[in-house]
Amino acid sequence: MNLLAKYFPNAVTIKSDFLQATGETLYMTAITAIVAGIIGMAIGIGLIVTQPGGILENRVVYNILDKLVNLCRSIPFVILLAVIAPLTRIIVGTAIGTTAAIVPLVIGSAPFYARQIQNALAEVDHGVVEAAESVGSGPIAIIFRVYLKEGLPDIIRSSVLTLISLIDLTAMAGAIGGGGLGNLAINVGYSRFETDVTVMAMLIILVIVFAIQLIGDLLARRVDHTA
Amino acid sequence: MTNEAIIQLKDIDVTFHNKGQTVEAVKKVSLTVERGDIYGVVGYSGAGKSTLVRVINRLQRPTAGSVEVSGQDILALNPRELRTARTKIGMIFQHFNLMASRTIADNVGYPLKGRLARDERKKKVAHLLDLVGLSEKAEDYPAQLSGGQKQRVAIARALANDPEILISDEATSALDPKTTSSILELLKRLNKELDLTVVLITHEMEAVKEICNKVAVMEAGEIIERGDLVTIFSRPEKPLTQDFINTATQINQALEKIFRQAATLNLSESQQLVQLQYVGASTDAPLITELYKRYGVVSNILYGNVEILQDTPLGNLIVVMSGEPDKLAAAWQYCQDAGINITHLNPNDSEVA
Repeated sequence: MNLLAKYFPNAVTIKSDFLQATGETLYMTAITAIVAGIIGMAIGIGLIVTQPGGILENRVVYNILDKLVNLCRSIPFVILLAVIAPLTRIIVGTAIGTTAAIVPLVIGSAPFYARQIQNALAEVDHGVVEAAESVGSGPIAIIFRVYLKEGLPDIIRSSVLTLISLIDLTAMAGAIGGGGLGNLAINVGYSRFETDVTVMAMLIILVIVFAIQLIGDLLARRVDHTA
Repeated sequence: MTNEAIIQLKDIDVTFHNKGQTVEAVKKVSLTVERGDIYGVVGYSGAGKSTLVRVINRLQRPTAGSVEVSGQDILALNPRELRTARTKIGMIFQHFNLMASRTIADNVGYPLKGRLARDERKKKVAHLLDLVGLSEKAEDYPAQLSGGQKQRVAIARALANDPEILISDEATSALDPKTTSSILELLKRLNKELDLTVVLITHEMEAVKEICNKVAVMEAGEIIERGDLVTIFSRPEKPLTQDFINTATQINQALEKIFRQAATLNLSESQQLVQLQYVGASTDAPLITELYKRYGVVSNILYGNVEILQDTPLGNLIVVMSGEPDKLAAAWQYCQDAGINITHLNPNDSEVA
């Protein structure tokens, strides 16, 4: 504890702030992960099944989804935060605060996740899909029992990647009023020249990231039977 | 074996459009497969044979033509009816197409989920694995199996819905010769035991030779020759068919060697290099002895091969006949009268007879 006080003199005095900020970061990450996860997964699956040669080939739907994903992905996140503030106000009632940050976070990360899912599912051997069709499987069965099942190791890996980039985004959202560790690092650590607070915030984020990576790798290895 | 047509393809066209290019993969092909047949479709890659058979279960929709399977118009079915129809048409593939994330038992049981209760499914899977001889591998994953074992699993999966037809799309092409034989034997056994109609696509005439009773030869999207196996093997009409057969019976290799040595054979005026081909009963007559006894013609056998196709022997001999010119002519006539297909081989002619 003395060592902590020696190297993080300012950080130890605001321990409760750190606890709260960590909680906020985890809250934003978790809620966004669930909402963006569902939306991204749906769009990713939509892209795979409607793509040329897909099991529900549909050029119009595919092009709409594809363009939508590209469009959302090309807006820098800081600008997105500002641009969709009115929309956030409609949905959550306010454009400031942790819950309000979730709206831009979802819009910022869902398209990214959709692309990741699309790539993961594209790795599923088309021959296996064809084999499933040949035994009489319909589109729903093929999505859930072939694509999602066969693509699971890759889905887990891309989910980890998305989660980590999501934590990156929460730090940015926090800086403009969303709270969390990013907010603490910038508005307390950076603005008041209390570098140790910034470093501490960074370390906590690193721990979260490493934990996610570790769990993800373990899970992926468990479900992967390709070798 | 009844003569009921189980698959009827009529005037099938399949045309692909790709980046402004039009490829006619299958052109006006008709094919009838009868119940209980093991029908071989042979051709080089790109001949359109895969595309043609994928029309049977509508994995490929034909541009034109009609498809009838077990009396059902496959092209008129809605998606749900098509899925039901597909359960009666099993299919196996060159690269097995097993699910890496599922155990062997789960791969085989995949088609049964939602169709059978859990206990029944388990029983059925055990029975299917037993049928293909892989009971002890039930809990393994495909990555732990050899190619031949994977194909057996794929066969068990294809049979899960008790299909009447099994389509084999180059199923032995990725396997070594010994494994190929064992898979072909399994298909033949299933054909007999389960009354399964098999459509076998391959580029290897050896595979056709081993198990098929009928064969169609495809080239450039068309069937150029078809018939029952023995007829095709004994009297091929098209050069491509002949080529496939010669490769399968290894006559090509033998002829190549003989021709290379032809100079050293030093054939005189009274000697002839001939190929004798005979089918069925004519194999039983002691031909070489007869030729000597009747005409004093001596036959020196350079190469001999007898294939048993559908229980019918098919013999091939390459011999040098020596004797007086008129005796040779008489011997020639005798062979022809005995129903033996006799052809003169010219070593200077690189074209294989």
